[in-house]
Amino acid sequence: MIGILSTLIFGREGLRKKLAVHGASLLFVAVIFGIIILMLNTRRTEQRELESGVQTYLDLKDVDLGDPVDRAIFRESLQVFFPGRGGQNDSLLSAIDDLRQRQFSNPAYKSGNHLQGLTGAVIAGLSGMYVQFLAVYLVVLVIIYFLAERIGIYRFVKMKQHRESYLAQFSEQVKRFQNPVERKNRMAIERALALILLKATGKGILLAVLFSPAYVIAYAMKTTVDTDSLFFMVLLGVLSNGVLIHTANRFFTLLVAESHKGYVQTAIVKNLAASYEWDTRDGISRRALLSVRKGLGSHVFQHILLNAKYQFIPTLKEHASFLVTGLIIIEMALNIQGHLSYELLQQILYRQYDVACFIIFSIFFTVKATEMGIDIWYEREKRRYGY
Amino acid sequence: MDTSPGKIRGNSWRISGKKDILWLLVWIGGLLVLWVWDALFLNAPAFEKIQTAFLNSLWTGLMVVVLALFFGWFLGVGLQTLERSESTIWYTLASFAIDIIRSVPQIILVLIGYVLLTLLLHEGVIRSTMGQLLWIAFTIAIAVALEVADTVRERINYFRTLDFVDAMLCCGISEQRIVNVEILWKNSRSHLLYKLIAIFGVSIFLQCSIDFIVSVGLSTDVSLSNFPMTLGSLLANVDSKQDILALSNLFTDPGYLPTIVTTHLQGVSVAICIVFTLICVYMIANGFVRRHKLI
Amino acid sequence: MSSRRYDIHIASSQRQLVDISDFVLAESSITVLFGESGIGKSLSALAIAGLIDPDQLSVRINDRKYDDYLRSPDLLDIRRNGFFVFQEPSSHLNPLLTLRTQLREGSLSESSTEKRILGKLWPGSSTSIAQEILDVYPKPYRPSGGEKQRILAAMAFKKMSTADSSNPGSLFIFDEPTGNLDNRLRNDFLDLLVENFRLHRTTVLLITHDYSIISHFTISYPDLAKRIVFKELMLDRGKLRLREFRPSEYLDWMADRRSRPRLAPQTTELLKLGQSVRVFGRRLLITRDHAGKDPSPLIIRKGALVYLKASSGVGKTTLAKLMMGLLSAERMSMQFQGMEYTETTHRKMWSERVWGRQMTMVFQHADEALNQNASVRDVFKGLPLKTAMDDAGTIKRLSELFEEGLDREFLRRPVKHLSGGQKQRLNLLRSLVLDTDVLILDEPLNGLDFASSVKVIANIEGKLQRGGGVLVISHNEEIFDALASRENIYYLHATA
Repeated sequence: MIGILSTLIFGREGLRKKLAVHGASLLFVAVIFGIIILMLNTRRTEQRELESGVQTYLDLKDVDLGDPVDRAIFRESLQVFFPGRGGQNDSLLSAIDDLRQRQFSNPAYKSGNHLQGLTGAVIAGLSGMYVQFLAVYLVVLVIIYFLAERIGIYRFVKMKQHRESYLAQFSEQVKRFQNPVERKNRMAIERALALILLKATGKGILLAVLFSPAYVIAYAMKTTVDTDSLFFMVLLGVLSNGVLIHTANRFFTLLVAESHKGYVQTAIVKNLAASYEWDTRDGISRRALLSVRKGLGSHVFQHILLNAKYQFIPTLKEHASFLVTGLIIIEMALNIQGHLSYELLQQILYRQYDVACFIIFSIFFTVKATEMGIDIWYEREKRRYGY
Repeated sequence: MDTSPGKIRGNSWRISGKKDILWLLVWIGGLLVLWVWDALFLNAPAFEKIQTAFLNSLWTGLMVVVLALFFGWFLGVGLQTLERSESTIWYTLASFAIDIIRSVPQIILVLIGYVLLTLLLHEGVIRSTMGQLLWIAFTIAIAVALEVADTVRERINYFRTLDFVDAMLCCGISEQRIVNVEILWKNSRSHLLYKLIAIFGVSIFLQCSIDFIVSVGLSTDVSLSNFPMTLGSLLANVDSKQDILALSNLFTDPGYLPTIVTTHLQGVSVAICIVFTLICVYMIANGFVRRHKLI
Repeated sequence: MSSRRYDIHIASSQRQLVDISDFVLAESSITVLFGESGIGKSLSALAIAGLIDPDQLSVRINDRKYDDYLRSPDLLDIRRNGFFVFQEPSSHLNPLLTLRTQLREGSLSESSTEKRILGKLWPGSSTSIAQEILDVYPKPYRPSGGEKQRILAAMAFKKMSTADSSNPGSLFIFDEPTGNLDNRLRNDFLDLLVENFRLHRTTVLLITHDYSIISHFTISYPDLAKRIVFKELMLDRGKLRLREFRPSEYLDWMADRRSRPRLAPQTTELLKLGQSVRVFGRRLLITRDHAGKDPSPLIIRKGALVYLKASSGVGKTTLAKLMMGLLSAERMSMQFQGMEYTETTHRKMWSERVWGRQMTMVFQHADEALNQNASVRDVFKGLPLKTAMDDAGTIKRLSELFEEGLDREFLRRPVKHLSGGQKQRLNLLRSLVLDTDVLILDEPLNGLDFASSVKVIANIEGKLQRGGGVLVISHNEEIFDALASRENIYYLHATA
């Protein structure tokens, strides 16, 4: 918070404006939700008063207002004790009927939550859920950022190595098999074919997992793994819903775009290393790629990577939003009790819209805070490079 | 000496250069294989359900694409016009509103849309299946149209940094023609089509996810039984969930695979349909980018 | 004199791009290569230097597959001992590394001549100015295009200083190295090139559109007449051919231009721009003298060619855009066709009265100014023409600047399939058909070969004869000094 405030006061105009817009959005949405919650709370208070009045009639001993006889006696009693108030008596009877129906059909009434609303206890409970949600979100975000860069780089280097596709390799081996001379090495060819099939199948399974909606994976593993654990949630958040693959693809796209730029050609004519073979003198070191900080020395790829990483930062905002979507889906679809998103679904079902608004605002706040954080980070990088 | 077109690096340039078409054929072929398999091994009522669910999901996805293009184009061009107008207040207000919508996760926007659909069904405003699907498509399109608008604005801004726009203005060509015809229609069709392909994938994902989620119901009067059958809602069906649960048997008994693909077919087919479509859409989009050299 | 010979064939997935036999470079000489933009000069040079991506284009050199050529000892030698200075300086410098880092990495770290070279490329200023620039991360507008170009040239000269003249791999290619430099800096660059050439006798290929280089070399270095070779790449019956370009072709034409009487100046003022304009926090001052001591409003009269000069990066194009109403000034006053235009003039007035109707502008980069995905026919659509142009009318107008193959098929051709020179001519023609009172030309000879330049100048003169006024911004000082009369030459200066 101090960092944000100081950036607001002392930071550059462009960043100050952005943070001011974010702040104004938060304030605006907070005010809107605040008004909605207030209105709903007021309505609930009125409803509570009305219902408590009506409930006294339902609580009358030995009177079952569902029974037509008891009901008729009750109506006539009202006419005797309160003559000349026909309309009001009829309204009372309607209110009693309504309350009876709600108590029968509305699950919120059955669970006793119907008039609870946004109380201090509810907020305290939600806060715990929010902290848990936030922790999972941050862990998943950091892991995805790290993995997406590594996957993007790996894909780029493979592209530059011009490795043949599995289909091309397979047809190559089949041609060898059809060649009478080469067929003498039958076992070697069969081993090669088996390896290609295995790799292709493995890649297919990996893609299926990465693209699967989380609930498909979770239900497929429900009987063997504890799918309610936080660890599994983090795993699902990273590996499913297509978040990782799309983020990695974005980074890969940036690498490819940068590799076409002119400064790469200038680097080549300055005789920087330009081979993309793994772990050769002029090539790319696998270890350097895994390390967080270590550069690639005098290699053309260092130029490309520097620019791609810089441009990747602002794109994280949209991926963060998609990641939040993914985590919400995980919690809702798997019906994980005690988790924020599932609680949101429950509150909508119970028509506790004020509580639902509060939860939605907390999610909105998470996304906004992420955007602000990324804007500050990007601004720091811009300053570093003289922008 | 062979420098005829098409012979760049290797023999398979023709195929590798049209990967989007290849994966489109793979997608259609894969779905056909699944259809035939289900026709052979799945019971008729379940097979009927899967067909209906798939067609509803496909139709909704396509409607999302059309609506998102319309909204996104209109929004993108509108924002550009407001930005360049003399009165900046409208642009400020519009940007502010969009900034807020952008920060709401798409699933929340779609969930709100479903809550409203529940109310509309309850009040009898929407009655038909087509109307419901249209509303669902409309809701998802609102959630994703910003991506199209961003593409539209990016393209217009890119050409504004060049001499392109100024050179045409100097020749008396109207700004509306420059933006809508010269920039967007003649120079950005590929970029917009790529975005729409990606949006189709996102809409399938959001649709299936939200239908799965609301299987618990959003009201006691309106539930999944009222909503049209889609892949997500079919996956949330008890039978389908049982079928997916059965997949975990493969970890301990790989020989269970034949049973999975013949007996537990409803849930497995739906899951395969969803995942296979998402993978193919991703591959089609990537292939499209490469073929049209968008990066 | 020995030479290197190349047969070069380059194709994309859709069409043949370069097909030339006998691309000859004289060893230990400076070959100055002219030719229309887009004809294949840069592409051929990139192919020779091994800088084309085989994933993007299909290339064969001397009947060898490009992958084989890339592994050949010849090319490895060129890479190790030569250098390539690219055309667009902005995109050929990494924006996230300081210029100092980029000037000293790879094989450039070996040279210790950096200070001397920078001193020559930034003459007259203290060394600290060049050193300040080195600490900068290159951005679109800082340093200026000319400064970035000099940095790239400095890289080449650093490499050249370590070159061994007996090594055939010492091939130095400069692709449009002076496009962003004014005449004075251009001459400084050429002098440094010759100085290094004399020392190291490397093989140099200098690609340029600036024919006035011929004058500088011929006058300043007559002793190198046999070592400086002028060539032109041209399309001859559908095939590329490298021909000798005789310096006298240009020099005689220039002499003829200088001796011709200028058009009799008319007195009717079409446009008058106040002597000072304020924009982007700077003041642009128009003067009649190079030193900036004689401020004057800029006046365009009927039938007059007005030539505006300034150093690179001062703001000539910015001024032109202000005159067109494309940019808003902080302070400006212009009288044009009886109306006053200031910083408060509404955009609607510019679009309804000026743009394409009374005044128009031709931008220097035809690739940006034209819609590459439009057809030749479409280029003329949407123009506010007094009478609509059908296909026959379009072909007739095209024949003013084009000779070859004008038919309906040509009208259907996408702009992106035209050569750079054809695009520039089309760019110019689009404005000429509007027949406005005033025409602003920003680098009108950009990308044109000599024959096309002559045609364009004839067209400009035709417009002047019909009573139009023309404002020219150009680095081709020698040519436009000969065309514009003394009273129609202005200088632009920028102050804080």
